[in-house]
Amino acid sequence: MYTNEITLILSCKSENEGLARMCISGFLMKLDPTIEELNDIKTALSEGVTNAIIHGYEQKEGEVILKCRIEGRKVYIEIKDKGVGIENIEQATTPMYTSKPQLERSGMGFTIMETFMDDLEIISNKESGTIIRMHKTLCNTSE
Amino acid sequence: MSIKVKTEQSFLVVNLEGEIDHHNASKIRLELDKKISETDKKKLILNFEDVSFMDSSGIGLIIGRYKIMKNLKGEIYATNLSKELYRIFDISGLFRLIKHYDTVEQCKKTES
Repeated sequence: MYTNEITLILSCKSENEGLARMCISGFLMKLDPTIEELNDIKTALSEGVTNAIIHGYEQKEGEVILKCRIEGRKVYIEIKDKGVGIENIEQATTPMYTSKPQLERSGMGFTIMETFMDDLEIISNKESGTIIRMHKTLCNTSE
Repeated sequence: MSIKVKTEQSFLVVNLEGEIDHHNASKIRLELDKKISETDKKKLILNFEDVSFMDSSGIGLIIGRYKIMKNLKGEIYATNLSKELYRIFDISGLFRLIKHYDTVEQCKKTES
Protein backbone atom coordinates (compact mmCIF):
# COMPACT_ATOMS: atom_id res chain seq x y z
CA MET A 1 0.00 0.00 0.00
CA TYR A 2 1.26 3.45 -0.93
CA THR A 3 1.80 5.75 2.05
CA ASN A 4 3.17 9.26 2.34
CA GLU A 5 3.00 12.09 4.84
CA ILE A 6 3.60 15.81 4.88
CA THR A 7 3.67 18.30 7.77
CA LEU A 8 3.41 22.04 7.24
CA ILE A 9 3.94 24.59 9.98
CA LEU A 10 2.17 27.78 8.99
CA SER A 11 2.44 31.18 10.63
CA CYS A 12 -0.89 32.63 11.64
CA LYS A 13 -1.33 34.73 8.50
CA SER A 14 -4.41 34.68 6.30
CA GLU A 15 -2.33 34.45 3.11
CA ASN A 16 -1.24 30.99 4.28
CA GLU A 17 -4.78 29.68 3.74
CA GLY A 18 -4.20 29.67 -0.01
CA LEU A 19 -0.69 28.32 0.42
CA ALA A 20 -2.02 25.40 2.51
CA ARG A 21 -4.57 24.54 -0.21
CA MET A 22 -1.89 24.70 -2.89
CA CYS A 23 0.63 22.52 -0.98
CA ILE A 24 -1.94 19.83 -0.12
CA SER A 25 -3.31 19.82 -3.69
CA GLY A 26 0.20 19.23 -4.96
CA PHE A 27 0.81 16.51 -2.37
CA LEU A 28 -2.39 14.68 -3.40
CA MET A 29 -1.69 14.80 -7.17
CA LYS A 30 0.01 11.40 -6.97
CA LEU A 31 -3.42 9.90 -6.15
CA ASP A 32 -4.96 11.44 -9.26
CA PRO A 33 -8.12 12.60 -7.43
CA THR A 34 -11.19 13.75 -9.35
CA ILE A 35 -11.73 17.53 -9.55
CA GLU A 36 -14.65 17.16 -7.14
CA GLU A 37 -12.66 15.14 -4.60
CA LEU A 38 -9.80 17.61 -4.69
CA ASN A 39 -12.17 20.55 -4.34
CA ASP A 40 -13.90 18.89 -1.35
CA ILE A 41 -10.59 18.35 0.44
CA LYS A 42 -9.33 21.86 -0.41
CA THR A 43 -12.53 23.45 0.89
CA ALA A 44 -12.59 21.43 4.15
CA LEU A 45 -8.91 22.16 4.67
CA SER A 46 -9.43 25.85 4.05
CA GLU A 47 -12.21 25.92 6.67
CA GLY A 48 -9.98 24.23 9.25
CA VAL A 49 -6.96 26.47 8.68
CA THR A 50 -9.17 29.58 8.66
CA ASN A 51 -10.75 28.48 11.96
CA ALA A 52 -7.31 28.10 13.55
CA ILE A 53 -6.30 31.59 12.41
CA ILE A 54 -9.51 33.46 13.20
CA HIS A 55 -10.80 31.61 16.24
CA GLY A 56 -7.80 29.71 17.66
CA TYR A 57 -5.33 32.58 17.49
CA GLU A 58 -7.81 35.43 16.97
CA GLN A 59 -5.61 36.60 14.08
CA LYS A 60 -2.62 37.17 16.38
CA GLU A 61 0.62 35.16 16.63
CA GLY A 62 0.83 31.39 16.54
CA GLU A 63 1.56 28.31 14.48
CA VAL A 64 -0.94 26.20 12.60
CA ILE A 65 0.35 22.65 12.22
CA LEU A 66 -1.12 20.90 9.23
CA LYS A 67 -0.52 17.20 8.63
CA CYS A 68 -1.66 15.23 5.65
CA ARG A 69 -1.23 11.47 5.38
CA ILE A 70 -1.99 9.20 2.49
CA GLU A 71 -2.70 5.50 3.10
CA GLY A 72 -3.63 3.84 -0.16
CA ARG A 73 -6.70 5.82 -1.33
CA LYS A 74 -7.37 7.27 2.12
CA VAL A 75 -6.46 10.89 2.84
CA TYR A 76 -6.10 11.94 6.48
CA ILE A 77 -5.84 15.58 7.47
CA GLU A 78 -5.02 17.02 10.86
CA ILE A 79 -5.08 20.73 11.67
CA LYS A 80 -3.72 21.72 15.04
CA ASP A 81 -3.45 25.05 16.82
CA LYS A 82 -2.33 26.00 20.30
CA GLY A 83 -4.86 28.78 20.57
CA VAL A 84 -7.79 29.54 22.85
CA GLY A 85 -9.70 26.29 22.25
CA ILE A 86 -13.42 25.84 21.66
CA GLU A 87 -15.53 26.21 24.79
CA ASN A 88 -18.66 24.56 23.42
CA ILE A 89 -18.06 22.19 20.49
CA GLU A 90 -21.75 21.41 20.05
CA GLN A 91 -22.55 25.09 19.64
CA ALA A 92 -19.56 25.68 17.35
CA THR A 93 -20.65 22.90 15.01
CA THR A 94 -24.26 24.09 14.77
CA PRO A 95 -24.92 25.32 11.21
CA MET A 96 -25.04 29.15 10.99
CA TYR A 97 -23.69 29.61 14.52
CA THR A 98 -20.71 31.96 14.69
CA SER A 99 -18.91 33.54 17.62
CA LYS A 100 -17.67 36.26 15.28
CA PRO A 101 -20.64 37.71 13.35
CA GLN A 102 -18.88 41.11 13.32
CA LEU A 103 -16.29 39.57 10.98
CA GLU A 104 -19.06 38.38 8.64
CA ARG A 105 -18.33 34.75 9.41
CA SER A 106 -21.11 32.52 8.13
CA GLY A 107 -20.94 29.83 10.80
CA MET A 108 -20.79 27.14 8.11
CA GLY A 109 -17.17 26.03 8.52
CA PHE A 110 -17.73 22.82 10.48
CA THR A 111 -20.84 21.96 8.45
CA ILE A 112 -18.75 22.17 5.27
CA MET A 113 -15.96 20.06 6.78
CA GLU A 114 -18.54 17.44 7.84
CA THR A 115 -20.29 17.43 4.47
CA PHE A 116 -17.22 17.42 2.23
CA MET A 117 -15.22 14.81 4.15
CA ASP A 118 -16.13 11.25 5.25
CA ASP A 119 -15.66 12.02 8.93
CA LEU A 120 -14.67 14.81 11.27
CA GLU A 121 -13.26 14.73 14.80
CA ILE A 122 -12.75 17.81 16.99
CA ILE A 123 -10.61 17.71 20.10
CA SER A 124 -10.40 20.97 21.96
CA ASN A 125 -9.71 22.44 25.35
CA LYS A 126 -8.70 25.78 26.77
CA GLU A 127 -5.22 24.66 27.85
CA SER A 128 -3.91 23.10 24.69
CA GLY A 129 -5.96 24.48 21.77
CA THR A 130 -7.77 22.61 19.03
CA ILE A 131 -7.11 19.58 16.85
CA ILE A 132 -9.34 18.87 13.87
CA ARG A 133 -9.00 15.47 12.21
CA MET A 134 -10.83 14.46 9.07
CA HIS A 135 -10.50 11.82 6.42
CA LYS A 136 -11.78 11.05 2.97
CA THR A 137 -11.45 7.89 0.90
CA LEU A 138 -10.95 8.64 -2.77
CA CYS A 139 -12.64 6.55 -5.41
CA ASN A 140 -10.51 3.94 -7.11
CA THR A 141 -9.30 5.26 -10.44
CA SER A 142 -8.43 1.81 -11.81
CA GLU A 143 -12.06 0.65 -11.56
CA MET B 1 -8.17 37.99 -6.54
CA SER B 2 -9.71 41.03 -8.16
CA ILE B 3 -13.09 42.45 -9.03
CA LYS B 4 -14.25 44.20 -12.18
CA VAL B 5 -17.31 46.38 -12.00
CA LYS B 6 -19.57 47.85 -14.63
CA THR B 7 -22.96 49.46 -14.60
CA GLU B 8 -25.57 48.42 -17.16
CA GLN B 9 -29.13 49.80 -17.14
CA SER B 10 -30.35 49.40 -13.55
CA PHE B 11 -27.63 46.86 -12.71
CA LEU B 12 -24.28 46.95 -10.99
CA VAL B 13 -22.46 43.95 -12.45
CA VAL B 14 -19.50 42.68 -10.45
CA ASN B 15 -17.17 40.09 -11.96
CA LEU B 16 -15.37 38.25 -9.18
CA GLU B 17 -12.12 36.55 -10.11
CA GLY B 18 -9.87 33.98 -8.44
CA GLU B 19 -10.21 32.41 -5.02
CA ILE B 20 -12.67 33.68 -2.39
CA ASP B 21 -11.33 32.69 1.00
CA HIS B 22 -10.94 34.52 4.32
CA HIS B 23 -7.75 36.24 3.11
CA ASN B 24 -9.30 37.60 -0.08
CA ALA B 25 -12.81 38.22 1.26
CA SER B 26 -11.78 41.25 3.31
CA LYS B 27 -10.25 42.94 0.24
CA ILE B 28 -13.26 42.14 -1.94
CA ARG B 29 -15.60 43.43 0.78
CA LEU B 30 -13.87 46.84 0.90
CA GLU B 31 -13.85 47.26 -2.89
CA LEU B 32 -17.38 46.00 -3.34
CA ASP B 33 -18.86 48.21 -0.61
CA LYS B 34 -17.12 51.24 -2.11
CA LYS B 35 -18.67 50.48 -5.53
CA ILE B 36 -22.11 49.93 -4.01
CA SER B 37 -21.95 53.27 -2.18
CA GLU B 38 -20.75 55.10 -5.32
CA THR B 39 -23.62 54.03 -7.54
CA ASP B 40 -27.37 54.57 -7.49
CA LYS B 41 -28.00 51.16 -9.10
CA LYS B 42 -30.15 49.00 -6.88
CA LYS B 43 -29.66 45.63 -8.57
CA LEU B 44 -26.37 43.93 -7.78
CA ILE B 45 -25.25 41.00 -9.93
CA LEU B 46 -22.38 38.96 -8.53
CA ASN B 47 -20.89 37.02 -11.44
CA PHE B 48 -18.91 33.96 -10.33
CA GLU B 49 -17.77 32.86 -13.80
CA ASP B 50 -14.07 33.36 -13.04
CA VAL B 51 -14.12 32.20 -9.41
CA SER B 52 -11.98 29.08 -9.07
CA PHE B 53 -12.55 28.46 -5.36
CA MET B 54 -14.86 29.59 -2.58
CA ASP B 55 -15.22 28.50 1.04
CA SER B 56 -17.50 29.66 3.86
CA SER B 57 -15.80 33.07 3.95
CA GLY B 58 -17.53 33.66 0.62
CA ILE B 59 -20.89 32.80 2.20
CA GLY B 60 -20.30 35.44 4.88
CA LEU B 61 -19.34 37.94 2.21
CA ILE B 62 -22.49 37.28 0.17
CA ILE B 63 -24.83 37.41 3.19
CA GLY B 64 -23.22 40.71 4.22
CA ARG B 65 -23.86 42.22 0.75
CA TYR B 66 -27.39 40.80 0.77
CA LYS B 67 -28.06 42.74 3.98
CA ILE B 68 -26.61 45.94 2.50
CA MET B 69 -28.74 45.65 -0.65
CA LYS B 70 -31.82 44.87 1.44
CA ASN B 71 -31.21 48.03 3.49
CA LEU B 72 -30.96 50.00 0.25
CA LYS B 73 -34.23 48.38 -0.87
CA GLY B 74 -32.26 46.72 -3.66
CA GLU B 75 -31.77 43.21 -5.00
CA ILE B 76 -28.83 40.85 -5.29
CA TYR B 77 -28.33 38.02 -7.81
CA ALA B 78 -25.69 35.36 -8.44
CA THR B 79 -24.71 34.18 -11.92
CA ASN B 80 -22.48 31.52 -13.48
CA LEU B 81 -22.17 29.20 -10.48
CA SER B 82 -19.92 26.20 -11.07
CA LYS B 83 -20.95 22.80 -9.74
CA GLU B 84 -18.68 23.30 -6.72
CA LEU B 85 -20.03 26.75 -5.92
CA TYR B 86 -23.60 25.60 -6.41
CA ARG B 87 -23.03 22.99 -3.70
CA ILE B 88 -21.70 25.60 -1.23
CA PHE B 89 -24.70 27.88 -1.96
CA ASP B 90 -27.05 24.94 -1.52
CA ILE B 91 -25.60 23.66 1.78
CA SER B 92 -25.56 27.13 3.31
CA GLY B 93 -29.13 27.99 2.31
CA LEU B 94 -28.02 30.98 0.21
CA PHE B 95 -30.61 30.18 -2.46
CA ARG B 96 -33.31 31.15 0.04
CA LEU B 97 -31.92 34.70 0.00
CA ILE B 98 -30.50 35.07 -3.47
CA LYS B 99 -31.84 34.26 -6.92
CA HIS B 100 -29.37 32.73 -9.34
CA TYR B 101 -29.11 32.63 -13.12
CA ASP B 102 -26.91 30.75 -15.56
CA THR B 103 -25.60 33.93 -17.17
CA VAL B 104 -25.46 37.68 -16.56
CA GLU B 105 -27.48 38.25 -19.76
CA GLN B 106 -30.23 35.91 -18.58
CA CYS B 107 -30.39 37.66 -15.22
CA LYS B 108 -30.61 41.13 -16.79
CA LYS B 109 -33.27 40.00 -19.24
CA THR B 110 -35.47 38.49 -16.53
CA GLU B 111 -34.96 41.08 -13.80
CA SER B 112 -35.02 44.36 -15.72
